[in-house]
Amino acid sequence: MEFLNPTALLGLLALPLLLVPYLIRKKPRRLVFSSLLLFMEAGIPASGRPWGRINLPPIFFLQLLLLALLILAISEPVFSVRPTNIAIVLDNSASMQALEDGKPRLSLAKESASSVIGELGAGGTVDLYVTTPRLTKVRVAPLDPVEAKAAVGAITALDLGDPSIDYDNVLSQLARERRYERVYFVTDHPARGQTPTSRVITVGRAQHNLAVTGFEIHRASLVNARLEASAKIANFSDRDEKIKVVLKGSGTTLASRQVAVGADKTASVSFEEFAEQPSYEVAIEAGDALPLDNHRFAVAPASRHLQILAVTPRPQAMMSLKSIPGISVDVVSPAEYEKSERTGYGLEIFHFSAPAVPPQNPALFILPPGSHSLAKPGAPISNAAVSGWREPHTLTRYINFSLLRPTYARPLKPQSAGDVVIESPNGALAFATERQGVRYLTLGFDPLPFLGRENLPMSIFTLNFIDWFFESGGSSGQATGEPIRLGSVQPGDVLTTPAGGQVSLKPEFGYFSATFYQGIYRRGRGGKSELYARNLQDTNESDLRAPAPIELRGTAPNSSSASVLFSFWPYLLAASLLLLLIEWFITPRMAFFGFGRRRLSGAA
Amino acid sequence: MLPEPFTPDFLTQLETLRLRTRKEFLGGHTGSYSSPRRGTSLEFADYRKYSPGDDLRYLDWGIYARTDRLYVKIFREEVDLFAYIFIDASASMGFPSREKKFSPASHVALALAYVILANHDHVKLHLLQGQTNGSASQFYRGRRRMADCMDFATSAVLGGSLDLAPALGEHLKRLRRPGKAILISDFLMPAAAYQPGLNLLRSFNLDIAAIQILSREEVEPAFPNGSLALVDSETQGEIRYQWNSASRGDYQTRLAHHNLEIRSFCHQIGIHYSLYVTDRDLSDFVFATLPAIGLFK
Repeated sequence: MEFLNPTALLGLLALPLLLVPYLIRKKPRRLVFSSLLLFMEAGIPASGRPWGRINLPPIFFLQLLLLALLILAISEPVFSVRPTNIAIVLDNSASMQALEDGKPRLSLAKESASSVIGELGAGGTVDLYVTTPRLTKVRVAPLDPVEAKAAVGAITALDLGDPSIDYDNVLSQLARERRYERVYFVTDHPARGQTPTSRVITVGRAQHNLAVTGFEIHRASLVNARLEASAKIANFSDRDEKIKVVLKGSGTTLASRQVAVGADKTASVSFEEFAEQPSYEVAIEAGDALPLDNHRFAVAPASRHLQILAVTPRPQAMMSLKSIPGISVDVVSPAEYEKSERTGYGLEIFHFSAPAVPPQNPALFILPPGSHSLAKPGAPISNAAVSGWREPHTLTRYINFSLLRPTYARPLKPQSAGDVVIESPNGALAFATERQGVRYLTLGFDPLPFLGRENLPMSIFTLNFIDWFFESGGSSGQATGEPIRLGSVQPGDVLTTPAGGQVSLKPEFGYFSATFYQGIYRRGRGGKSELYARNLQDTNESDLRAPAPIELRGTAPNSSSASVLFSFWPYLLAASLLLLLIEWFITPRMAFFGFGRRRLSGAA
Repeated sequence: MLPEPFTPDFLTQLETLRLRTRKEFLGGHTGSYSSPRRGTSLEFADYRKYSPGDDLRYLDWGIYARTDRLYVKIFREEVDLFAYIFIDASASMGFPSREKKFSPASHVALALAYVILANHDHVKLHLLQGQTNGSASQFYRGRRRMADCMDFATSAVLGGSLDLAPALGEHLKRLRRPGKAILISDFLMPAAAYQPGLNLLRSFNLDIAAIQILSREEVEPAFPNGSLALVDSETQGEIRYQWNSASRGDYQTRLAHHNLEIRSFCHQIGIHYSLYVTDRDLSDFVFATLPAIGLFK
């Protein structure tokens, strides 16, 4: 027998409270009488039994039975037979790496899953699912119990957050569509409610935890070689903590700092003046429940030399950018663009031209043709006045827009989602958008050539968009699970994972998407290597105190599940009502639940 | 101001009554009760031979005509009566309240006292409390002393436990004239307590009447069913009692048996006995029940 609402069984603990009214009632009423002469033989001297005589009437036991039956009915008992076709969904998100008395939660979950498998009837089959990176079946074919236990043992937790799915719906759907007699979900989230087919097995308990929730390496500016690092430390506990934060570069400790983090607060710590390294790691020295989030990784920011590929029919205008320190420009004509090697460029500038599809590098489109997919230019206007701009924004800082008057402009009509950064009464003059982490900027005017002080507003704007693209070079790393864009893959290219595993890249690979573990991914390309940082981004995984409960609202069971569950709470309820009627019949003056009943019949 | 039952009509009716005694007492003054002495009342007692000096008015001339011998008629002496009314003033007489038990008891006592006073006899009220405590009034005579009787009765402060025989003994020590003794009590005491008390009254050659006073709440207790801690109003002793319809019946059987024992004992030793349940009409009790037991002529 099982209970769909086992919480209600806690009500049984309250049953002894039923004694209270009887004990209160049993406390004799003190009455003065003229003489006790005629009571002496039948009465009991008070000193003989100070606590009185506990003489529970039969109605007490009737009420006790009535309440017990009611509680049992509320707890929704069901008789079940051993299911033979079940599914086990194992939560393998990052929080399952949290330690419970030195043992990862995933191990506890595996034990629970193995225990469920062990209870399977003969000939039972198991389908095993994991929740991250998405809800997927571990093996295509159903597993027998032995295979299932082996498969459970092979499951590892990923450094990913929980997928945002409605488990109630998903589990019910699984049971309905795949005809599972029962679906077990083993997780570290508590559950509310049960359904006839879905069971949630919760492992782990609330724990305090500290986590590095942010880490970024950046330069002060494009032309500044000085590196700065900033990290955010979150305290998911109810007490203040003082911890040591260590900055490492390629495995070597570069700096360390003590930081105090208040309960439920986040503290920032920054480091400056440290040696440039290919990759960085910030770590906190905290022996807390989840070691995974005590580290965070970042790669060195893009080189302070921004290499630009300019696609223009007017090379002279582009060459003026070379006067900006740290900028190198390669110019190709629009016709040669498709044939050119585009890797290694931090920015592609399309001057009066645009490719058929947006490039994989950040790109600036200056007065693109009408077929441009991001924004279509409108009719030309002269001396366009700027009527609005986004502020604060890297693109608009330091600009006196009353002086920015492009002599020739074609207001833009955005064709995709993005920000209109600068606009004129006739339409957008600057339209910024971002796709898969790549920034694109479309201009309805031409800020080039770069004339320095001679055209200060345009020069400032030029420096602004270079900074804007430069900062998108990204040194803070991306979330685990975010694919690594590979670009053109040469034979022999290898990707080394944080665990040291090597993946041979093939030319048909556009992305490497199995970035499920936190750390530095190294791509070898000939003699050079590129680094990518991936970090756990889901702070919910770090907050181990009160995981979001899984609400099982009890959708209708499928037909097959009805065959293994026999719910008999209605019978218990009927029995309770019958008892209530019996009690009502026995004691017509019964008050609500019988608690208030007083025997007044003799008090006339 | 007399209490409510003592209306002019009620008093007028009381004046028609005379206390009856079954004994002859030596009175102090001429009254209406027989005395063992010969006197000058209208009630013929005997004849004796004439002796010189006898009052010729008492010669029976009829006997002389028939026997030629001189006899004089002698008459009984009629004297006044000394009555003692003992009122139980223990704590139990205050249950369930003074108004419901002691006041009716004192009304009975006052009615009896008025009957005595209206016949120009002497009445003395005694309050019985504890073993030796208790007060007694002076002898009252004449209707005008009714107010004094009432003042004395109402001044009683109830309390204590009554031990009947010692309490009566204390009062009887100061008793000089025999007469009528009326004991008003609830008699809620064991036989071993009330029997010595009544015997003590007998030993003082008193003509005794016992009136048992019980309140309705004592006859039919209105306890709620269930476990009770009953406290004795006199001793403060406490017992636990499971009260229900069965125990109610049991109690009433015990009470009836207890009252029967008192009645039997009183009959055995020649004491007028009557039970007065206080919710009963006083005039009905005084004019119907008390004459029926021979307390009034």
